[in-house]
This record gives sequence, C-alpha cells and structure tokens, in this order.
Amino acid sequence: MSTTLSKEPAREPAPEPTGAPPVFSIRKLWKVFGPKAERVPDSELADLPADELRRSTGCTVAVRDVSFDVHKGEVFVVMGLSGSGKSTLVRCLTRLIEPTAGTLEIDGEDVRAMDKSRLRELRRHRAAMVFQHFGLLPHRTVLDNVAYGLEIQGLGKLERRALAMKVVTKVGLEGMEHRRPAQLSGGQQQRVGLARALAVDPEVLLFDEPFSALDPLIRRDMQEEVIRLHREEGRTMIFITHDLSEALRLGDRIALMRDGEIVQCGTPEEIVAQPADDYVRDFVRDVPREQVITVRTAMRAGACSGPDHPGALAPDTIVATAIEIVARSGAAACVVEDGDCLGVVDHENLLAVVAGIGSERAAVS
Amino acid sequence: MSTLIPEKPAPEKTGSPPGGPQGPATRSLLLRRLSVMSPLARRLTALAALAVVLVPFAAVLWGSGAWPGELGVDVSGPLDDLSQWIVDNRDTSPVFLYFLLHISNTSVDAVDGVYSVLDGLGWPGVTAAAVLLAWCAGGASRAGLKVAAVALGAFAGCGLLGMWDPAMLTLALMTVAVAVSVVVGFALGLAAGLSRPVDRALRPVLDTMQVLPAFAYLLPFVLVFGTGSPAALLATVIYAAPPMARLTALGLRDADPSVLEASASLGASSRQQLLKARLPLARKELLLGLNQTIMMALSMVVIASVIGAGGLGDEVYSALSTVDVGAALAAGIPIVLIAVWLDRTTEAAGERIGAPPAADGPRLLRGGPAWAVAAVGTAVAFAVGKVAGAAQWPAGWTVDISGSVNSFQEWTVDNLHAGVPVLGGTEVWASNFTVWILNPLRDVLQGAPWWSLLLLVAALALLVGNWRNALGATAALAATGVLGVWGNTLDTLSQVLAALALTLLLGVAVGILAARVGWVERVLRPVLDVLQTLPQFVYLIPVVALFGVGRAAAITAAVAYALPAVVRITTQGLKKTDPAALEAARSLGATGAQQLRQVQLPLARPALLLAVNQGVVLVLAVVIVGGLVGGGALGYDVVFGLSRGDLGVGLVAGAAIVCLGLVLDRVTQPTVRETDH
Amino acid sequence: MLHTHNRQRRVLRTSLTLIAGLGLTVAVTGCGAADTGKSGSAGSTDSLTLTVPSWVGAEANVAVAKYVLETELDYKVNTKQMGEVIAWDALSKGTIDAVLEDWGHPKQEAQYVDKQKTVVSGGDLGVTGHIGWFVPKYWADANPEVTTYKGLNKYAAQLKTSESGGKGQLLEGSPDYVTFDDAIIGNLDLDLKTVYAGSEAAQITQIQQNYKAKKPFLTYWWTPQWLNAQVDLVEVKLPEYKEGCDADPKKVACAYPNTPLQKWLNADFAKDGGKAAAFLKNFKWTADDQNEVAKMITQDKLSADEAAKKWVTANPDAVKGWLA
Repeated sequence: MSTTLSKEPAREPAPEPTGAPPVFSIRKLWKVFGPKAERVPDSELADLPADELRRSTGCTVAVRDVSFDVHKGEVFVVMGLSGSGKSTLVRCLTRLIEPTAGTLEIDGEDVRAMDKSRLRELRRHRAAMVFQHFGLLPHRTVLDNVAYGLEIQGLGKLERRALAMKVVTKVGLEGMEHRRPAQLSGGQQQRVGLARALAVDPEVLLFDEPFSALDPLIRRDMQEEVIRLHREEGRTMIFITHDLSEALRLGDRIALMRDGEIVQCGTPEEIVAQPADDYVRDFVRDVPREQVITVRTAMRAGACSGPDHPGALAPDTIVATAIEIVARSGAAACVVEDGDCLGVVDHENLLAVVAGIGSERAAVS
Repeated sequence: MSTLIPEKPAPEKTGSPPGGPQGPATRSLLLRRLSVMSPLARRLTALAALAVVLVPFAAVLWGSGAWPGELGVDVSGPLDDLSQWIVDNRDTSPVFLYFLLHISNTSVDAVDGVYSVLDGLGWPGVTAAAVLLAWCAGGASRAGLKVAAVALGAFAGCGLLGMWDPAMLTLALMTVAVAVSVVVGFALGLAAGLSRPVDRALRPVLDTMQVLPAFAYLLPFVLVFGTGSPAALLATVIYAAPPMARLTALGLRDADPSVLEASASLGASSRQQLLKARLPLARKELLLGLNQTIMMALSMVVIASVIGAGGLGDEVYSALSTVDVGAALAAGIPIVLIAVWLDRTTEAAGERIGAPPAADGPRLLRGGPAWAVAAVGTAVAFAVGKVAGAAQWPAGWTVDISGSVNSFQEWTVDNLHAGVPVLGGTEVWASNFTVWILNPLRDVLQGAPWWSLLLLVAALALLVGNWRNALGATAALAATGVLGVWGNTLDTLSQVLAALALTLLLGVAVGILAARVGWVERVLRPVLDVLQTLPQFVYLIPVVALFGVGRAAAITAAVAYALPAVVRITTQGLKKTDPAALEAARSLGATGAQQLRQVQLPLARPALLLAVNQGVVLVLAVVIVGGLVGGGALGYDVVFGLSRGDLGVGLVAGAAIVCLGLVLDRVTQPTVRETDH
Repeated sequence: MLHTHNRQRRVLRTSLTLIAGLGLTVAVTGCGAADTGKSGSAGSTDSLTLTVPSWVGAEANVAVAKYVLETELDYKVNTKQMGEVIAWDALSKGTIDAVLEDWGHPKQEAQYVDKQKTVVSGGDLGVTGHIGWFVPKYWADANPEVTTYKGLNKYAAQLKTSESGGKGQLLEGSPDYVTFDDAIIGNLDLDLKTVYAGSEAAQITQIQQNYKAKKPFLTYWWTPQWLNAQVDLVEVKLPEYKEGCDADPKKVACAYPNTPLQKWLNADFAKDGGKAAAFLKNFKWTADDQNEVAKMITQDKLSADEAAKKWVTANPDAVKGWLA
C-alpha cells in the first residue's frame, strides 16, 4: 500500500525522469547575503543560528543547500512564508540574484558558468518572469509593455506589435491595448505582466507571487487563467507563492521552504497526506483533505467485490467525490486503473482521510 | 559654557571592579543611567569631556577674546598676487589663449546667435512661438490653452512695459545658460544616479553649492573673463546646474525597482536598461529639474547684471543707480512674467507625464501634429510680421508705469516713514530694532570667547546631526577666523539670526493662517509668486527709503525675500498632516487651537524644520545683497571686492560667507538629507 | 551581487565617457589659440561701445557723445553699464572702447596705461570734479559752526544714528568711490564714524529722505552731481589740500583735491578708431554744460537721447569744434 502512495502526481501524467534532462536542475544551491558570503556555505558557520551568524559575520543565509529538478511541462510550486527565501530562490534561477554556491543547470547547461551575453540570451528567450508588483512601465501603453521583451530582443516595431497583439488577445485584454497601466485594475495589470512574459515565448515561465497583491476573487480568476494557459500550452512553470490553497490548486509538485531550506518536496497529496514534520503538519492542518487526497491513497488493498468493478473509481479521484459515490451506493467502491483493480475504498477508509488519521495509518503501515 | 555640560564627564564604563568603593549596586545604577541616557545626551557628554580638556589649554595659549591672531593665515597677499598675475597674463598665457578664452568666445557667440534668432523672428514670431510652445507643453488641449494664455500675457507684458529688447537679451542669455546647465547637470546626475561612489563624492559638493550665495562667487569669474556674458553665463551655470544634477540622480536612483527588475529579467543590457527603463521612469524628476534650473538661472541672470550680463537685470540695475523705483519695477515685472511663463509651461509638461491621455480632457490635437501646428504658426507669424514691417515692438504700444509707481512709492514712504500716530513709523522701528536687538546681539557674539562659539556650534550641530555634522560646522566657523574675518562674520551672523527670527515668526504665523483659511491662501499665492521671482534689487530702494541706510534695511530686504518660501513650506506642511489624526482629534472635541497645537504643528515638524533650513539659506543670500544698502560686514566686503576687482577682500569675504552658510546649514539641517528638494 | 556591481561599473564608465566627451568637445574647439577680443569691436569702423557709469553726469557725457557719433559720424554706439574699476578692465580688453569720465584710479593707470599699454589717455573732459564732506544748508544756516570740521565735531551728537555706535554718522556711498574718510576722522580726532551705504542708490535715497525730514546729516559727496540741483548742500571745510598730503592713505588729514576728470581710450581703438577716436579725444565741455543735460534727464525726465538732441541743437558751435 505504501508503495502506491508516493510518486504518482495528482493530475498530470507522471513526468517521470525520462531520457531528456530536467528543464531546471538545482543541486546544493546557496545564497548568502553579506560580506565575504562565499565562506559560509558548507562550513560550520552555516550551522549557526541566523542571528548569531549575522552578529559574527554580518551574513544572512537566504537559500540554504537547496536541490530539486523541474521537469518539462510541469508546474513546480515553491511555497513558504515571507522570509523563507522563496523569492530569492526564483531570482537565482536566472541570476537576477547571483547564487553563492551550488550548481544550477537549464537543459543541462550550466547557468552559473554563462557569460554575460549567454545569460542575456537565457533571459531573453528561455525564461521569462511575472512579478508580484507587475513591474510595468507606466509611460507605455499596454501593447508596448507587452512588446517590451521583444523590443529588448531587437525586433522591429511592426513585428513586435503584431506579436504582442496576439498575446494581448490571449490573456483577454483586447480593446485595452492602448491604455496605460495606471488605467487598469490590478488584475488587468497582472494580465499585462503575464502577457509580457508570454510574448517572448519562453521555455519556462517564472512566477514570483504574481497574485498576492490581488483581491481574492480576482486572484481566483487569474489562477484559472494560469491553469487554462498551462492546459493549452503545456509550458513549464515555476510558481512562487505563500498561499497554500494556491499551491495546491496549481502545483504538480510543491517544494515547501522554511528558513531557506526545502523542508518537503512532493505532490500536493503527499504534502497533505504525509507531512514531513510538525512544521508542515501545522501548515496543512486546515486544508480540506478530502479535496486533495485521492482514492489511491485512501484505498486499502484487496480484491473488488466483483468483476464489474462496482463504483469503478479512477485512482486520482479525490476523496470528496468518492464519498458521494460510496454514500449513494452504500457499498465499498473499486479503484480501477486500465481495467485492473487496484484496491477498494469503503466508509471507513474515506472517513479516516477526513478525520486526518489516514496519514498516521499510512505511516504505521 | 557651563550650561553646555549637562553633568560631569561620564565615569569610565569598565572602571572600578565590582565591590570597589562605589559598590556593585551604585555602579550598575550608573551604568543603567548611562544606557538610559539618549544617544544624544551621551554625545553631548562626550563633547563636554572634550571641551573640559581642550578649552583651558586653548584659552591659556591664545586668550579668550575674539579669534586669536596667531591662528590666522594671511591669504589676501597671495590672492592679490594671483589677481595681479591674472590681469598681467590673461591676454598671453596659454591657459587663457587655449582654454578659457575659447569658453568665453563660444559663450559670447552662442548668446549672440540666440539673440539674433529672437531678433530676426521679430516680436510677432517670438510671441507666436512662445504661445504655441506653451500650448503644446500643456498637451495641446483645453488645459493647454490656459498655459498659452499665460505665455501671451507674459510677452505682451514685456512689450507693453517697453522692455521687449532687454527681455529678448535676457531670454537669449537664459536659453544658453539653461542649455549648458541642463547638459552639465544631467551628465553629473547621470553619473551620480548610476554609481554610488560618484554620488558620495558629488553630494557634499552639491550640498555646498546649494547654500552658496550667488553674490559670493561672481568675483573670480569677473577677474578671469572680464565683465559681460561669459562671466555671467558661467556663474549662472554653476548656480543653476546643481538642481538638475540632484534631481536627475534622484530620479535615476528612485526608479521603481520592480520595473527595473522586470526589465533585467527580460534580458535588457545595461544600455537598454538605462535608455528604455531608467530614464523614462525618471522623466518627472528630469522635468522638475529643468523647471528648477530655469528658475535658478533666471534669478542668477538678474544678479549677474552686476557683472555686465545685460538684459532686464541691467535695466533694473541701471534704474537703481538713478533711484528710479518705477523704472526698476518696469524692468522687474517682465522678469516675473517670464518666470511665470516658464514655470507654468514646464509645470504643465510635467503634469502631463504619467497622466493618461484619456483623463486629459478633450484633446484638440496630439503629439506630432501639435508641434507641426506650432512650427507653422510661428512661421506664419514671422512672415506676417516681416510683411507688416513689425520687427520692433511698436513704440506706441507701451505704457510708462514709472511715474505712477514712483509717486505711489513716495506717498507710501511719506506716510509710513515717520509720524504714524502711536506706532511711530518705520524709521523709528528700524532704529529701535537696531539699538535694542541687533546691537546687543552683535556685541554678545563679538564679545564671546572664540572657543565658546565653536563649542556652541558643535553642540548645536550634534543636537541635529552626528559627529561629522558637528565637525564640519565647527571647522567652517573656525575657517572664518583663520581667514581673518571673525568679527565681520559674527556681525553678519547677528544680522542673519535676527532676520531669520523675524522671517520664521512672520512666515509661520502667515503660513498657519493660510493653511486654515482657504481664501487667504488663494490671495497669497500670486503675491508669493511675485515676491519670489521679483529681482531683489527692485525693493532695495523702497526699503532704504522706509528704514534708512543700515542693517535694518538689509534685514527687511532679507525677510521680504525669504518669507514666501517659509510661508509656502509651512502651509504645505500643515495641510499635509494626516487627516485621520486630525479627525480623531476633532472627534475627541478638540478646539481649533488645540488641533493646531497638539496635532497639526507636531505632525508638521519636518516641514517646519525644512522651513528653517530654507529660511537660513535664503536670508543669508540677501543679507549679502544687503551690503548694497548699508548692511556692512561681509556683504559690504563682497560688494567692495566686486566693484574694485579686489580678490583679497572679495574672495575672502565670499569664502567666509560660504563657511557661514555651511555652519547655518549644518545646525539647521534636521537629518542627513535623504530626499532632495 | 557581483553582477550588479559589474553593472554599476559599466554605467559608471558610460557616464564618465559622456563627461569626457563633453570635455573633448571643449578641447577640440580649443585646438587653436583663441581670439582675445582685441581686434573685435575695437578698431572696427562702424560701431563702438561706451561705458555708462552709474551717475548721471557721466550719463550726460555718453548721451551727447553717442548722439553726435550716431547722427554726424554714422556710427552705431553700444552702451554698457558697469562699475568704474570693472570698466577699466573692460577698456583694457577692448570690451568697451572709451571711458569718458574718470575720477582717478592710480592703480589701474599704472597697470593698464604704463605697464600693459592697453589704455591711452583721451585728454581732459573739461569738467573738474570735487569730493568733500557736505551738510544740508538748512542745518548749516541754523548752526554756522558746522561748516568747519572743528565746529562740526561739537555737533556730532546730532548726527548720531542707530548705525553709528554713539558717534556722529558720516554717510559713505558706493565701495567704488575713492575715500580716505576713516583716516581723516582718525587723524583729526573727530567724534564721527563712517557708515557705508554700499551703493550710490542707497546713499541718495538716504540723503533725500533726510532732506525731506529736515534732519541734520553729514555725507561724503561730490560735484558735479545731479542731486545737487534738488538738494542744497554746503561743504564742510577740512584742512586745506596740499600736494602730497594724501600720499600715504593711512596718514591723510586734509581735504580732497580737485580732480580734472579724464577720458581714456582703448589703445587699439585710439590708433585705428578713425573719426570716432578723433572725436572722443576732442570731446570737451564744462560742468555747466554737463549739469544742464543731467538736469534734463533727471528733473525733466527726458530720455538720454532726447536730452542730448536738445543740447546739441542748442549748441551747434561746440559740436562743430569737436568734429573739426
């Protein structure tokens, strides 16, 4: 049972490591701010508590020994509270902030070894970023803001405007292309920011808390927009947020950061069902578990009650849906994948998930 | 002196061992008191300790009177030699032939060139160009029409007052001076805005220039370039470039970091970053810089008339020599008009930046076409003027105001000068003010031991700033003693202090009134505008007529000049106080006076401190001009040096004034300048 | 960090390049020796520049000379207002071509006439100037003693002002003017103190104000001066002037000498100035003539040009003499 619990992500087909290298591969990455920062990583200094380190060296560790891969087509969410180092981390990826130590590869190419022009190339064509405070040029129209990245690439005026216009339409801003940022609502401004990033057709989109400054309703709209875009284009995305529900909604995998370190990295379901420590457990306490955890986790091994697989739930069905079906039929339901029966869920299994004792049980077994 | 030492020097912190004579309890109490003492008190204590050591030493060695002669350096000898060398060599030395004379000739050519263009356009062409320019700057919309009307009024005013030609000469000089100032200021601002080290190096220089009274540094330019436009131009550039540099640096430095980051994340090169993001983001500051540069240049072009700048300033200055207030005013008003025109035009352009086009009201035209219309309009006006033979402003279209102004002046003076029942009259006030306030103040300052004044300045500078601040202020004051003008400096200081006190009393009172009563502010605004831009020379004569030759006259002129800025800053500060705090006070039933005293004034403290600082700088600038009406002391020395070409006297006095300015700036500058305004 | 640091360095370099470029522009234009201006306005045949000093007597000189030059000799005359010492400087450089009324500047004469030879004498103006101490006539009439320095000393208390620190006030004028008054007061042991008005305008205003109020006052003053037509002043007798009594400025204890006012020309202009230079050398008139024109300007409020025209029309013979 425990073997089936992990690995499989919730929605998308598994981006299992194939022959192709991951889009981003990060190993033992450090970012230390302060004088002579390079002496801190992997030394005994790094083990000092933060305030003691600052007192003795004037340094602050923002990203601490972080490793992860981001695969093609994946939405990788980095989540943490403010000050956890997540925004610094995402800036390290395109060296907007220079990392202190570690390796950093994009498509197998060493980013830290890139010279200026190669790095510029990376920023212009391969990774584009969407910012929390939009970062729009107030004196330009929506269209020219969207075209800004293309302008930097050196495209002619007509060409870049035509391209930009297509993206403006894609993010639902047609008719507003001649307005200035100040005349738009926050949500619309972030659509411009999104369009600007999309316009350069990057391999990876980086989002730095893009929706934190927006109203809850608009935030939801924008999340839908991102999900839609991802569905349509399948672009790799790295998404920074401090909002757990946003992380759970969007993420194929989530890296949870605390004090510069990744405390847990896994699918939303893993995070919720199997918190790595008390910090994570505390974090996910109020998550409606039945909305996240799937029957694959909730089921118990066992044969179906018949060859016609009563109930016949797909393994990635969430528990909330399963409850409805099981409650209606009044009987246990089968979990079926490719015509094979994987297991069964009954009242007891499902209730355990809702009650939050599923994880303990999983851990025990 | 003793009042400066709050208590005995602090006992050494790591002193007596626990269990010593004082016992651990006493000691920890002392320590606690030390740590409870504000850092300010601690610093003052340290200063007091320093004083206790140094003062007896200094007093025994050099006495306790005025600045000791042993500590002076004779600079007038070398300066006279230098001045002689310049006079002997300025036609032969390569420094002049290959460098300075080129600057000189180029500036003459440039001014002449612009003047001949203006002259060639004729008055219809120039007026049309100015009006259409204003209209374009105002967004070629209905709002632009208002700006255009101001322009039309300004140029019609110049013509009507019979000042067309001098106005064009002033405009020509201004154009060149502003162009050079903007280029120089922009280059410096660019360097400072993009590089921390340059900024750090440039900042003190710009700070010093800001407190430099223009009069103080005219002399060296006269010596090197002789009288005329080159000297005037360079002095103007030095005066007018700093605000451009400051604001450029500020604009570049304060650019929204999120925009810059976004731009960098898209792979912008540093050049693209500068041209496409930083500079456009700083447009507002750049335009504000242009505006301030223009205003500074205009006031300087007038002052520079003393060294032969020509134009309107010259007309004012000439009128002064025949004691013709009317004629001086007739030349002064066009200066105000030009100032208002340029101010409103640049202001309108500044307001349009960032304001989205749709919110701009109905646009008659936009962008390129508007400028084309302006160009065509100017050409048409020029052609019509040529055909009609109207290059010169028609002689019949002038109004002579000098007669009526003079009789009004005379009438006012006759009625206020003496014999006003109960109140006495201005002459009596002036004499009482001099006898009962100025003389005692001066005598106290000049009678105080030199080291006590140094200590006082150090303590005051410490109170408002840090050690570096105190050191700078003390060194500046000491420098005046070293230069051998200790007595005169203190005389001037007494005048500045008296003028400052008066300015603040009046300014804050009027400012409070204006902040609380709407119509007072509306009435005051144009009056303040005029007072601020009217050349100081214009009101020197009425001031002498009312108050007589002497320091009281100089102080009155200074108060008149500094008052508008103080009133304006006070009003703005009071009006900007947090409305929520005011509402809270009102909801608790506070009376108007209580609101003012308990909420508005405390909250407006930064603005009031700024008003003090500005007041100091402005008052100092005019107390120097007061040398022309009997203010004596450093102001007279500067005027003396200027009119006689005496570098030894003039430059030393100028340097002393700069030092005095630095002292006053350091002891009134509330915190280290973070924002530049 | 490293990256931003590099960027800063880079922009620093860019801006330094910009500044250097500015400097270069200056340097490029500076590849040849500059024109010192000597051959500029001076010596050109159709225009010249005269200085207008701040007092009206001298303005009358310039007005008449300008009128004649423009109407009879067809020159274009520019005028420039400047201080006396500065005018000497400008005269040497050729910024102006002539000074028509000079009250004596030995230091400048030594520098420019004798040493640099950039300025040459244009002869006497014909007017004699006199500097002295003056009191209003109404006060002198009431107290005849005040017209001598010894008698004046007894009345010093009446001259006290808030500026004169317990002594009698001697009002001084512009810093331009030659004055030995501090030395004279000290050496004659008088109970007086000089108070510098700082400008002629301030001094005149003060005199007018005092005169209107019929107050006693004492001032450094001179003739010819247009104000003398409006206010009636009497000179205070100082110890008689003897040749050389003012040799050491610190030991002066005598009256001021009578000064035959001088004309000075730029050397190049005097040589190549043609008819204009010849005319200015010939230009000579009396104090009465000068006062007449000055009075038209100040009292009758005529413009300088109108006053000159009126006088020239009335005195054709004098003009003919100058042009001969």
